[in-house]
Amino acid sequence: MSFTVVRDPVLGEAVWLAQTARGLPLRVVPAERFREAAAVVTFRYGSVDLAFSDAAGAHTSPEGVAHYLEHKLFEDEAIQAFDRFGRRGAKVNAMTGFARTTYYFTCAERFAENLQDLLHLVSRAHITPENVAKERGIIAQELRMYEDSPDYRAFYDLLGALYAVHPVRHPVGGTVESIGRITAEELLRCYAAFYRTGNASLAVAGPVDPEQVLALAEAAQLAAGPAIPGTAPADTARPPAPRFERRGRVARARALLGCKERSLIADPAARLERDLVTRILLDLWFGAASPVREALRREGVADDSLSASYVADRGFGCAVLGGEADDPERLLAALRAVVARPVAVAEHDLERVRRKFLGGFVRGLEAVRSLAFAHAQEAGDGLPPFSVFQRMAAVSLEAVRARQRELFVPEAMAEALLLPGG
Amino acid sequence: MAERFAGFEREDVQGVPFLVRRDPRSKTFRMVLYARRPLDRDAAARALLPALLQQGTRRDPDRPALARRMEMLYGASVGPGTAKVGESHVLRMSVDAVAGAFLPGRPDQLGAGAQLLRELLCEPLLDGMGFPSGTFERERKQAADAVRALRDDKGAYAAERAIAEACAGEPYAIPEHGGLAAIEALDRGAPERARLDFLTRGEMVAFAAGALPEAGVAARLGELLAAMPARAPEPLRPPVSVAPRPVRRAVERTLLQQSKLHLHFRLPGTDVQRLWIGRRLFTNLLGGGPHSRLFREVRERRSLAYYASAGLERHKGLLQVHVGCDERAAAAVEEEVLRQARALQAGEFQEQELETARAQILGTLATVDDSPQARLAFAAESWFLGVDRTPDEWMDLYRSATRDEVVQGAAGLWLDHVYLLGAETPAGGIAP
Repeated sequence: MSFTVVRDPVLGEAVWLAQTARGLPLRVVPAERFREAAAVVTFRYGSVDLAFSDAAGAHTSPEGVAHYLEHKLFEDEAIQAFDRFGRRGAKVNAMTGFARTTYYFTCAERFAENLQDLLHLVSRAHITPENVAKERGIIAQELRMYEDSPDYRAFYDLLGALYAVHPVRHPVGGTVESIGRITAEELLRCYAAFYRTGNASLAVAGPVDPEQVLALAEAAQLAAGPAIPGTAPADTARPPAPRFERRGRVARARALLGCKERSLIADPAARLERDLVTRILLDLWFGAASPVREALRREGVADDSLSASYVADRGFGCAVLGGEADDPERLLAALRAVVARPVAVAEHDLERVRRKFLGGFVRGLEAVRSLAFAHAQEAGDGLPPFSVFQRMAAVSLEAVRARQRELFVPEAMAEALLLPGG
Repeated sequence: MAERFAGFEREDVQGVPFLVRRDPRSKTFRMVLYARRPLDRDAAARALLPALLQQGTRRDPDRPALARRMEMLYGASVGPGTAKVGESHVLRMSVDAVAGAFLPGRPDQLGAGAQLLRELLCEPLLDGMGFPSGTFERERKQAADAVRALRDDKGAYAAERAIAEACAGEPYAIPEHGGLAAIEALDRGAPERARLDFLTRGEMVAFAAGALPEAGVAARLGELLAAMPARAPEPLRPPVSVAPRPVRRAVERTLLQQSKLHLHFRLPGTDVQRLWIGRRLFTNLLGGGPHSRLFREVRERRSLAYYASAGLERHKGLLQVHVGCDERAAAAVEEEVLRQARALQAGEFQEQELETARAQILGTLATVDDSPQARLAFAAESWFLGVDRTPDEWMDLYRSATRDEVVQGAAGLWLDHVYLLGAETPAGGIAP
């Protein structure tokens, strides 16, 4: 298998692209200027991938299974993963999101051995009823820690208000109750369905030899073939609960306004474009340079906790606005008023955003970890390298205005309040 | 030949040490001027200062105008911040940007960033009484709200309260924000007095690292210093140390599900660098990551906690252990932490454990050079500690460190305080 080399559009640095014989795509950024190297293996499998059909028939997993599986893959007693990475001075970790699970390490030496071990870890499931039971208590502790966070509770309250049936409404790690239903058989079935070369990607950056990376990837025994398609229900209808309110022992109230996508995009390139335009729109309204944000602060409606984000991937997408407030009802009303008005955007605003983005792009080239993650993200979506950069440069004023009209409609909104006094 | 410190070239600019390290591999640069004052009852005014300075200048009268200017500098980050470093309060004035050489039209990013920083620090929007009343009241309220909201972040709240209890009566007990009561008691003139105090009495040092031009960097710092009032720096006091005493305890309760247990150990004061090498290795062996005793014994083998880690605060001579666990396991966790610490102090660890701890520290040090931001932070920390060594020199010292040095480093370690943030009710947590 030979490489294709693509150069970045700003500094001309190369990324090497290839695919192993078993079908694992990989991207390598050889950068001798760094001492550190980073490797990222990503699977398109996350907390929303609960429903699927395999040879044994249709199946729905308990919530939190992808996160549980991530924990278990580090438990290979044969290779003692933490010890081996640790002895080489490497830092290894993993994380599970709504739509993907990522395993990664960074190291300053013995890169090849670390990559070999990382690929080994994800290529076999080392799961027994005993080690599944042992991990349950640790995961329950993790979930309880998250549940102590008012921001976490408010966020999932909002997703629950926005989505009636889509599994994005459940916490990524599940609940203490749901993980109690996860068995070794369940984990093995999910592993077999989703941990496959056609559902994964490998991205590497640092002082590495692309040919060596490819050779190590070729040797990995990850099952070949595409993933079994998930069957998450489309959930684009009006939110089931336009308002969710909870009282709790919190020092400050939280108020969130969410707005869900009413149409889904399957094509990753089109989804990326939607994602970028939405982020620009939110930045114009609520970024540091926004007069809207400043007015909300000056009027005492919002403070520096005010945030605006766009949460989207396969099968779901929503904007989430809000933060802490003295008067949460006033904050929600103000946010509704902002998104109802046509966004004030001119060409010089876009130029400013493009400059900021270009600066961020060059900064990203300064750290192997961010380089590897950026390429892993694009590889995971099957996008050409530097798609984000090129599409950002092409965003138009009209696209921003159209995005507002499309997304921010009252019938797609819901709100969540977490109030003091529980 | 130029004087050097921690791998940086040193010169003096208007009496302020300026340490520079050009890196041809970099595409970004960072320049920082630090001013240090004692951590004391003025902490609240000092901590509020950055927020006020960022509300506008004579040229850019509000935050959006300042933000727009930074965005036009390709997303540069320019401005002040404060931090608690041991028992000192540090004002950090920084420019962090992509170098013009890598941008369309090759703009003078350093010059533009330094000018903006000068305006932020030296040309704030003031009236005769200080920062404008409306601005002051708004930012003071926001600072107070942020301190109140800290209760909602159980980990951060526990860490702050544990330090306050463990170091009660010492300057180190003062939180970086100064405390809610002190914030609420601030008068309008206090932040402006704090600004002048930092700029006139603060011990200053400046650093620059990364993709810097060959000439003119010191001149940029000179322009900034020339715009400031006359300086008469005052030396800082050494940190307060305490003699061993019986273990003290504090328990607080709130609505939560996962309790937080913080153990504070004290270390005898010393400037012997090899003792600190041993201490760093000891801390890593105890709780430096998944390979450490706390992770393996407390979390993995006994399933007592979700996390258990140890960290070293060299400025103050503290070793801190942080644990997130079920309160019912707290006593067992404390017992296990002490058992593991005692075993390590006695030299009861495998060679492999030492090699792993060494590899972890070396791995971190090896990558400091990859980023101008990390390299600058490393040099600044070295300056504050008064230790003139490059990362590579530190690596050589760690490579040659022995088991005996770990034992010697940990000698005299004693448990001073145990803090628990526990649940009010067995159910705990935010209402379901």
